[in-house]
Amino acid sequence: MWHDLKRHFAGPLIAAAVVGLGAAGAHAAPRQGGTLTWIVTPEPASLIPLTNTAGGNAEIGPKVVEGLLTYDTDLNPKPLLATAWEVAKDGLQYRFSLRPGVKWHDGKDFTSADVAFSILTLKQSHPRGRSTFANVVEVRTPDPLTAVIVLSKPAPYLLTALAGAESPIVPKHLYEGTHVAANPRNSAPVGTGPFVFKEFVKGSHVVLERNPDYWDKGKPHLDKVIVRFIPDAVARAAALESGTAQLGGQAIPLSDVKRFSELPDLRVDSVNWAYVSNHQQLIFNLDTPILQNKAVRKAISQAIDVNALNKVVWYGYGTVSPAAIGKANTKYHNAGIQYFPVDTKQAEAALDAAGLKRGADGTRFKLRLLFNPFQERRAADFVRQSLARIGVDAVIESYDFATYTTKAYTERAFDITLEALANVFDPTVGVQRVFWSKNFKIGLPFSNAAHYANPEVDRLLEAASVEVDEAKRKALFLEFQQIVHDDVPSVEFGANPSITIRSKAVQNYAPTGEGLRGSFADLSLEP
Amino acid sequence: MPDPARLLRALIHPLRPRREASPTTDFLPGSESQGHVLWRLLSHSPQALFGVAVLALVAGTALTAGWWYPDDPLAMVAPPLLWPGEDPAFPLGSDSLGRDVAAGLVHGAKVSLTVGLVAAILSLGIGLTVGGLGGFFGGALDDALVRVTELFQTVPSFLFVIVLVAIGKPSVTVIVTAIGLASWPVIARLVRAEFRSLRETEFVLAARSLGYGPARLILREILPNALPPVIVTTSVLVATAILIESALSFLGMGDPNMVSWGSMIGDGRDQLRTAWFLTALPGGAILLTVLALNLVGDALNDRFNPRLRGLR
Amino acid sequence: MPHLARLGGVLRRTAWQAVPTVIGIVVLNFCLLQLLPGDAADVIAAESGSATVEGMAALRAHFGLDLPALNQLLGYLNALAHLDLGVSPRHNLPVTSLIASRLGATLLLMGTALGLALLAGILFGAVMAVTVGRWPDRILSVAALLFYSTPSFWLGLMAIVLFAVKLGWLPTGGNATIDSGLAGWAWAADRARHLALPALAMAGFFVAIFSRLTRAAMLEVRGQDFVRTAEAKGLGPFAVTVRHVLRNALIPVTTVAGMQVGTLLGGSVVIEVVFSWPGLGRLALESVLSRDYHVLLGILFLSSLLVIAANLLVDLLHAWLDPRIQVR
Repeated sequence: MWHDLKRHFAGPLIAAAVVGLGAAGAHAAPRQGGTLTWIVTPEPASLIPLTNTAGGNAEIGPKVVEGLLTYDTDLNPKPLLATAWEVAKDGLQYRFSLRPGVKWHDGKDFTSADVAFSILTLKQSHPRGRSTFANVVEVRTPDPLTAVIVLSKPAPYLLTALAGAESPIVPKHLYEGTHVAANPRNSAPVGTGPFVFKEFVKGSHVVLERNPDYWDKGKPHLDKVIVRFIPDAVARAAALESGTAQLGGQAIPLSDVKRFSELPDLRVDSVNWAYVSNHQQLIFNLDTPILQNKAVRKAISQAIDVNALNKVVWYGYGTVSPAAIGKANTKYHNAGIQYFPVDTKQAEAALDAAGLKRGADGTRFKLRLLFNPFQERRAADFVRQSLARIGVDAVIESYDFATYTTKAYTERAFDITLEALANVFDPTVGVQRVFWSKNFKIGLPFSNAAHYANPEVDRLLEAASVEVDEAKRKALFLEFQQIVHDDVPSVEFGANPSITIRSKAVQNYAPTGEGLRGSFADLSLEP
Repeated sequence: MPDPARLLRALIHPLRPRREASPTTDFLPGSESQGHVLWRLLSHSPQALFGVAVLALVAGTALTAGWWYPDDPLAMVAPPLLWPGEDPAFPLGSDSLGRDVAAGLVHGAKVSLTVGLVAAILSLGIGLTVGGLGGFFGGALDDALVRVTELFQTVPSFLFVIVLVAIGKPSVTVIVTAIGLASWPVIARLVRAEFRSLRETEFVLAARSLGYGPARLILREILPNALPPVIVTTSVLVATAILIESALSFLGMGDPNMVSWGSMIGDGRDQLRTAWFLTALPGGAILLTVLALNLVGDALNDRFNPRLRGLR
Repeated sequence: MPHLARLGGVLRRTAWQAVPTVIGIVVLNFCLLQLLPGDAADVIAAESGSATVEGMAALRAHFGLDLPALNQLLGYLNALAHLDLGVSPRHNLPVTSLIASRLGATLLLMGTALGLALLAGILFGAVMAVTVGRWPDRILSVAALLFYSTPSFWLGLMAIVLFAVKLGWLPTGGNATIDSGLAGWAWAADRARHLALPALAMAGFFVAIFSRLTRAAMLEVRGQDFVRTAEAKGLGPFAVTVRHVLRNALIPVTTVAGMQVGTLLGGSVVIEVVFSWPGLGRLALESVLSRDYHVLLGILFLSSLLVIAANLLVDLLHAWLDPRIQVR
């Protein structure tokens, strides 16, 4: 079950090129009508990513509530609720012109007041919003169709943070004066999106219906979207194979992918959605005395063949990245970094030299190996066996979410942990938290688990977080990746597989960089 | 109201009749004719013979596991997902990480049997204590213990095991303890009923009149006579514990550092469609062992049921 | 009306006897849940993939997790006395409505499975008893044991592959076709099709128990005086079997059926996961994993009520089956 509750919030760039997701090609107009049954895993407790992004709500939400912007596969912004935008030279003001004539599903007008309210709410309540919008001083609303975000310091990642899956714009008139986290609208959302919420039966399904008054005339093409929650992976595969469901992201066991790609009525897409940008890594606990020695960490890293891990654990569908910023992020990934050569002899020699000789039973020392339930448990098995070859006995401790975060981040009762800290849409948001010494915070999940502290890295990360000049920012991130690689506080694995299964009738389901977290406005079922 | 003791015996092992006097002629450890009777029983019941044979095979495999496969059964030694028979070095194939399925099955026998036995012994210990004390002394102590037993029995036991494993961690020790803690009430109720009926029998009353203390009465007089149905029940508990462990592994709560049949099923479930042998082989091993335990339990039970003896 | 009055008395007494058990269960479970590492805020943070210190503090305050444990327990017991099971902060819903929305599905599944198991178990058991020691007896007992010995999740997954994917006869999971707009018979048929596989997979385990019980009880009753009398009166063997032997054998079978309600609820966890059945078992498992204590406590509370109610029902049934038995 833990295995299944896992949520893969990213996808590797196997084929960064758009693999048949898009273009119904030269076809005439997309077919109108039809019902799509879509499997989302795991079931979320609420339906929009406002106060938490747990479960599949970042996938379901954007069908009903929209963001100001949407993004292409290189994360360049495109208009959505905002039709135009302008960033001040000093990076301290963002002016958005809003789309006129947009109505909430309950008939009220969408205005700049909703934008201001939503941004400030996100700053208050969203799990990442507190840091993303930390520099926001105020949101001005000079007129109903203009919103101006005013910052105290530049935030170069801000323009990338405005997708519906990350920063949904919610109706002020339904949220104002309520306890945002307890607002029933979180599970029965009212938005501006292409689909209108109809029902949510916990443990079973969600029904969304076509919004006939959607601002983008002629869209959406579907009459209805049924979201189904199926906890068991084999049962999900059965639902897709039998045609009960037509679309599912991360739905089937990886071992089934090859078989599915040979089924005539189904299509398998392996795409790394840039906006999600999965990334997994092995993190050393630098408070463990043995692991304070860089030579030991390097030796351990030389025992782990990440390419073999990709082949065995990820069935070859992952995208290996030795750099801390994965390949999905085309702007900042440092392609010059290579893994230390896999060489158990060299590793054993290094451990011998460090005074960690094999004992009578053939082992040198014992380590506690934890893994985030988002990781495949098989990755932990793989690492354990890899380390056994150089005489390191890594004992796997398998926990559910709550115990894992407590053990790793509160009690710090681990030596090695396999983490799933996604790069997200920008390194300042997704990567800085892992390596920034000021983010070593006991009790805070997904902070600096290694307890890594390097003043030079801190300087680079802090500079990049306010650098408005794109080229300079890139240089800062490239150098940061090199230093972190040389210091080995972690072994970067790269992006775990992101597999989408669809019926061949499903077209244009992910035309944007957000992938399945887009709006489905363009999705059509072609005969 | 039906006699609760009889019902409980029927629940555990339906064929057990009400105990009629003369306990000394019943099964007692070391009684002479025991071997003969057992043999007669086996030779007349093909099911029991089958059960004993399977159990002997499984126990033998478990004991010699280290001799067959001296290396860590979790080691990745083969190309992943070899089918059985594809490579003679790995006769039963390999799993998705390239671990030898045959080695896993052999070592898994050890872990699965241990899980079953230790969990059963644990619940036997708690059940004997709680049921025995309550049944022998009666009164307020009995009332209190009955309440506690009822309390544990109303909690869905599998859910209880899940909570206990989540509190500890998925290791064989924790799993065994959790199963033991969740399954003792059945034994306690059975033992209590046995003790209540036995303490009024003539031979116990006679021993009591000789001035023996409660410890001797319990340990020397009552317990040996209450044991047979309990032993039969234990065979079912062992079987149930093995099944519970496999269900835990299915939910991802198995011990990641040990191979058990349950954990093999848990690891192989994702490949159910592509490499069904990964779940079918350990599943078959569980099925056979559990079946064998039940068949042997039945046979033992028949042995204690004088009324049916003539029928077989 | 003396009957009704007596029944009322029985119900009242049962209710009073249940009170200490129920309080014990709540306290025991509450203490157990306190031992679980991590809390609901950790889970939300973990599932969200990000967190901030302030955000975690706000979550804990919202969930009431910043209060001392004893305060939480007393608050819970106090609310319980007013039949209030509290609120699930995770789902943002009162626990009673959350449970109510799942209870129907679980009761339907459990009831059907129990009914099927009883029906098949009694039938098999009767045949086994009549042919005791001969081949039908042996074959049926091994067959029943086979179902008992097969891990139910494996049986369930295999059934999905065979009947839903390969043959296409039955749906792969869920409890109804979603948003089908069906009514009347079509609606009932749709429900039945969804129910078939999970109910059978769940019943398989219990058929063995019930058939063996029936067999044993029938063999035992068969030797008793009243049966010999009935035979002497010239009743045919079939009539004797059904009217006298089976009727009396039903007493232990129903007793055990009542005792199995708790087991059934625990077993439903696995079946509901395999068949995506929107029931209480899955909700219970999810609430363990998400540390949603109020929901779990509510489910455990309800299940103890169910067990108590089932046992009461069995007592009443016994009084009907055998008039000599007095309702307690």
